[in-house]
Amino acid sequence: MKRLVLLLLAVFVLAACEDEDKDKKAAGAACAGAPAQMQAHPALPAGFPDAAGIHYTGVQQKGPTTVASGYLTETIGPAHDAYMKAVGNARGYKVTHDEQDAADSEVNFEGNGKSGQVKMVQECKSRTTVTITIRPA
Amino acid sequence: MRLAALALLAFVACSCGASGSKDVKPLLVVVNAPFSRTPYLGRTIENGVRLAAQQVAATGLRVDGQRYRLEVRTMDNGLSPAHAVANVRQAVADGAVAIVDEGTGVNASWRIAAKRGVPICIVFDGGSSLVDPQTRPNVFRIAPTDHGVAFRLAEYLIPKRLRIGILHDDSDYGTNGESELRKAFSENRSSVAVDETVPADALDLSPQVLQARRAHATALLVWGRPSTIAAAITAARSAGWNVPVYTPPTGADPFVRQQLANHPAWLNGLTFAGGRLTAEVGVAPFERFEQRYETAYGVDRVGVRTRSGAEVIEPPEIAMYAYDFVNLLAAALTHANSTDPAKVTRSLEEVTIEGANGDERSFNKIDHEGVVDDDVYFARFRDMTYAPVKDDPLSATLPRIPQTR
Repeated sequence: MKRLVLLLLAVFVLAACEDEDKDKKAAGAACAGAPAQMQAHPALPAGFPDAAGIHYTGVQQKGPTTVASGYLTETIGPAHDAYMKAVGNARGYKVTHDEQDAADSEVNFEGNGKSGQVKMVQECKSRTTVTITIRPA
Repeated sequence: MRLAALALLAFVACSCGASGSKDVKPLLVVVNAPFSRTPYLGRTIENGVRLAAQQVAATGLRVDGQRYRLEVRTMDNGLSPAHAVANVRQAVADGAVAIVDEGTGVNASWRIAAKRGVPICIVFDGGSSLVDPQTRPNVFRIAPTDHGVAFRLAEYLIPKRLRIGILHDDSDYGTNGESELRKAFSENRSSVAVDETVPADALDLSPQVLQARRAHATALLVWGRPSTIAAAITAARSAGWNVPVYTPPTGADPFVRQQLANHPAWLNGLTFAGGRLTAEVGVAPFERFEQRYETAYGVDRVGVRTRSGAEVIEPPEIAMYAYDFVNLLAAALTHANSTDPAKVTRSLEEVTIEGANGDERSFNKIDHEGVVDDDVYFARFRDMTYAPVKDDPLSATLPRIPQTR
């Protein structure tokens, strides 16, 4: 009976890993050409900090909220660390929550009357896309 | 997938036998919810708590050398703050180690629980004032916040250049929501055609809906109890006004569909904001949770059918929040190596679990919210079931959860 339970549990764990494997495969693929960068460096609301090496590709206003897009030429781990450091060291800001998975991560923040999230997805071997959402707290 | 569910069942069944000995002491967990006034909400919270308690028993809970099981007790707050406070007083007097709460009355009840350090976790009400780690260190929440829902609605609707008629009812839920909507639309007031308060117990909202129409609203945003949402839709559609309707999570409450069961087309196009059910790892973890939930309690039947006759069910979203909190509680008990509620409350800021949807669930010293604002998505009804919208970046990435049997 114990063997049967162990066998079934192994199948259960394998099923759980299936989705994560797909993300890992995409993150391991070679990168195509990088998206066009913005001509000028955008000024984000409330002095929101830049991570070292960030390349901005666009900024949108969605009602009360600013959404900035960009990328880092890093894998997900260093990209996550870069934003943890940038937000953690920025005057008035603090990281409220963060999570890093195999190919994506989030750094949630608040401060200076704002709150939001830096969402990162490693889209290929050496590039991580960054989406920064900044809304009134 | 079936094999995985079978494996888990076998595992639970084996483990249950092992933990049934007499030296296992009970630890009381109270569910304070509106079982009489909104039965679906109360029952689904209770089921989430019981499911997690069973699994905790299956894996075993050992604290300071003593084995424990979580004993679940329900208390009906009837949506009355006074009843909710009385329930919390009783729960604390009875030695509860934690309270899982729908949210009614927490503005008063948290103090009673705080005297003994008992943690309260809100799993439905998103009111911003309810949770503050500095002033209410024993209050936690796993549910979308009103702030997150209101701002996500503003981000979604304002770029569409709609003129929005805001209707909110005068319940605590409605007034808290209106307060957040006011902030979310404060820099874009030209997007708001009219902002009206309606009675929470009104059966006919025709005058208020007519007023919104006369103000040239091109969309309705209805923030209130399920009955208010159903009444607003009925008033608009029966007047021949096919205006798009947007709501907070209560739009997905089965009561709305039950009220509109005779006019299923009226529901088509209703868009609600809610907490995402699945995480980046995919749909598999939530499906496994849903299977465990169904095995234990059956499906949550909405009481309506699709055009093809399929029975519509409601995915166990709120149950998932309650389930995750109880698993966090078990982790905190182990981490604290104590059943002293005050120590458990502090430990809740230090533990992390994998939630039912595969995402991490945790709190910390500066944040007692278990659902971040950026996890609010939008779904739209068609034929009595809903699917994530395609014109919102987050929602467009989310899978449709099956809702028929």
